[in-house]
Amino acid sequence: MAEVVLKDVMKNYGSLYAVNNVSFAVEHGEFVALVGPSGCGKTTTLNLIAGLIPMSGGDIVIGDRVVNDLDPKDRDIAMVFQNYALYPNKSVFKNLAFPLQMRKLPKAEIEAKVMAAAKVLDISHLLERRPRELSGGQQQRVALGRALVRDPAAFLMDEPLSNLDAKLRVAMRSELKRFHHNLNATVIYVTHDQLEAVTMADKMAVMHGGVLQQYDTPANVFGNPVNTFVASFVGSPAMSLIPLDVVSKGTEVALRSPEEGWELPLSPMNARKASASSNGKLVLGARHSTLKLHKSAAAGAAPGKVYTVEPTGDVTFAQIFVNGAVVNISLDPTVAIEPDEAVWIEFDQDRMHLFDGETTMALKAA
Amino acid sequence: MAAIETAQRPVVRKPIDWWRWAGRVFLTFLMLFTVLPMAWMILTSVKSQFAAMQYPPQWWPSEPTLNNYFKLLDPTNRIGREFLRYFWNSFYVSLLTTILGVVVAVPAAYAFSRFRFPGRTFLFFSVLVRNMFPAVVFLMPLFLLMRWMGLVNTHGSLILTYLTFGLPLSIWLLKGFYDNIPIQLEQAARIDGATRFQAFILIVMPLSSPGIIATSIFSFIGAWNEYVYAYTFLSRDDQMTLPVGIQRFFTEFATDWPGLMSATFLMSVPVVVLFLVLQKYFVRALTEGAVKH
Repeated sequence: MAEVVLKDVMKNYGSLYAVNNVSFAVEHGEFVALVGPSGCGKTTTLNLIAGLIPMSGGDIVIGDRVVNDLDPKDRDIAMVFQNYALYPNKSVFKNLAFPLQMRKLPKAEIEAKVMAAAKVLDISHLLERRPRELSGGQQQRVALGRALVRDPAAFLMDEPLSNLDAKLRVAMRSELKRFHHNLNATVIYVTHDQLEAVTMADKMAVMHGGVLQQYDTPANVFGNPVNTFVASFVGSPAMSLIPLDVVSKGTEVALRSPEEGWELPLSPMNARKASASSNGKLVLGARHSTLKLHKSAAAGAAPGKVYTVEPTGDVTFAQIFVNGAVVNISLDPTVAIEPDEAVWIEFDQDRMHLFDGETTMALKAA
Repeated sequence: MAAIETAQRPVVRKPIDWWRWAGRVFLTFLMLFTVLPMAWMILTSVKSQFAAMQYPPQWWPSEPTLNNYFKLLDPTNRIGREFLRYFWNSFYVSLLTTILGVVVAVPAAYAFSRFRFPGRTFLFFSVLVRNMFPAVVFLMPLFLLMRWMGLVNTHGSLILTYLTFGLPLSIWLLKGFYDNIPIQLEQAARIDGATRFQAFILIVMPLSSPGIIATSIFSFIGAWNEYVYAYTFLSRDDQMTLPVGIQRFFTEFATDWPGLMSATFLMSVPVVVLFLVLQKYFVRALTEGAVKH
């Protein structure tokens, strides 16, 4: 196992930058999730680490070697693909043995290692089968096994769970996490599913448009998103974002709805943040669980109108229009509200997020 | 009573599906069209020269004989010696054409399928240009070219010509096969420790073997049956290929029909055998189970 370091990594196709100046360091034994919407450059980044496509610029270090010009085979990595990429003409045993044969290990050792990996993954009874004779979950295990037999410096995984059905995906998620725990393996894991990233990873790298937005622990990414993109991407339901104006009256600072005219006074801490706004506009962000619903006007609450109500059993989600923006809120299932009902939303001053209206970056108290 | 009976056994009359019947009639005609000449060829080949010329014809040979075949396959007489030589020439030319064709088409098709290089589309469509013209159009230019290169009266001229004609189809066919093999398989192999070349040889080649076999059969048959170029480029007797050599059964005074028919039958044997043995590769699903779709 080893650390993996990316420094100013670039990949461009003409004027299109698929990966733009991405730098981050994965420490030994860390599980890092590369996450972002489709086309954000996360898979390209993984392929650059694997050496499957040439870099346009920057450095990649695996262990203590700069691997920029090394072939994939010399980088000492293992990869699990989204479509598993099992060799269809080989039995499961031969699929698992292939990486070892390529490294010219003695036959007895190959057999011992394959058996050991098969036992860990509970696929010992499948060794003589062909990949097409396996179920999706079993194929997934074989793909994992092929990465596992080799004890590589780092595991790269490209959406390994996205082809499984929902139930199996949750089960495999726990197993992957356990597998990482047992092996103390360095894992770089690409997913578009922020929930997978939050639940499994030690750190997550949120990417958008080829640019790394934030690289931090899931708790920090969730708690202190650096900009509105990260804020709306991580967490489900998404963080609600309401664009508002900043108004100052003497020492008091408040937020005003440009359309509806209501005002929301800010706490001194938030007031200092809001004053840092570059053009007097900002975006107010709030997670569903920090909001309180009132049926009548209340101090520090903004007026809204109920759009939909979605009971899920133990919690009811509602979407409410506030100043033209959709606000997600979670409610106790006993609260009865109707679509089109007028309600008031109270914001938690300690847990609200303020983003600059122009740069979309999180505002810091000056 | 009658009413009750009808109620108990309702008459179900399926409408006649005229399209289906039209299809069957058409297929029957098609079969007769292809099978009858073959049957007549085989029947004639086991007749004596006299029986073959009788009028009205003998539909079924009264004294079947295999003498014609013995004569053709017996290297001690002149006819047998010549036939076997033509057969060998044809086989040798077709086999070399096939092998060289595969050797060139496989890497070419792979490159067209996997790599993006300047002029790729132009090159890919330009291999098709040859197929836009009938083969005869190239007869004179190629003959002059072969003469200039000193290849007239060599098998090399034929092999080169057949390659020119066979390669475009082979490359297009094989490219389709490679397009269907997920690139992740190669990537996985490369990460598992294979070089790019090893990944191609160990993973991609076995998966594309049905395609390689199919294209081999196409180019073999193309070379095996070709007549015009062989007739033009070769003038020495001992170099003739079968389609040209068989002509020698038409002599000045009479045509040895049974002999011609048995030679034709023997000529069709390798092609039929090739198809029968290898036909399963035409239909075998390529990458079934390789990836989850």
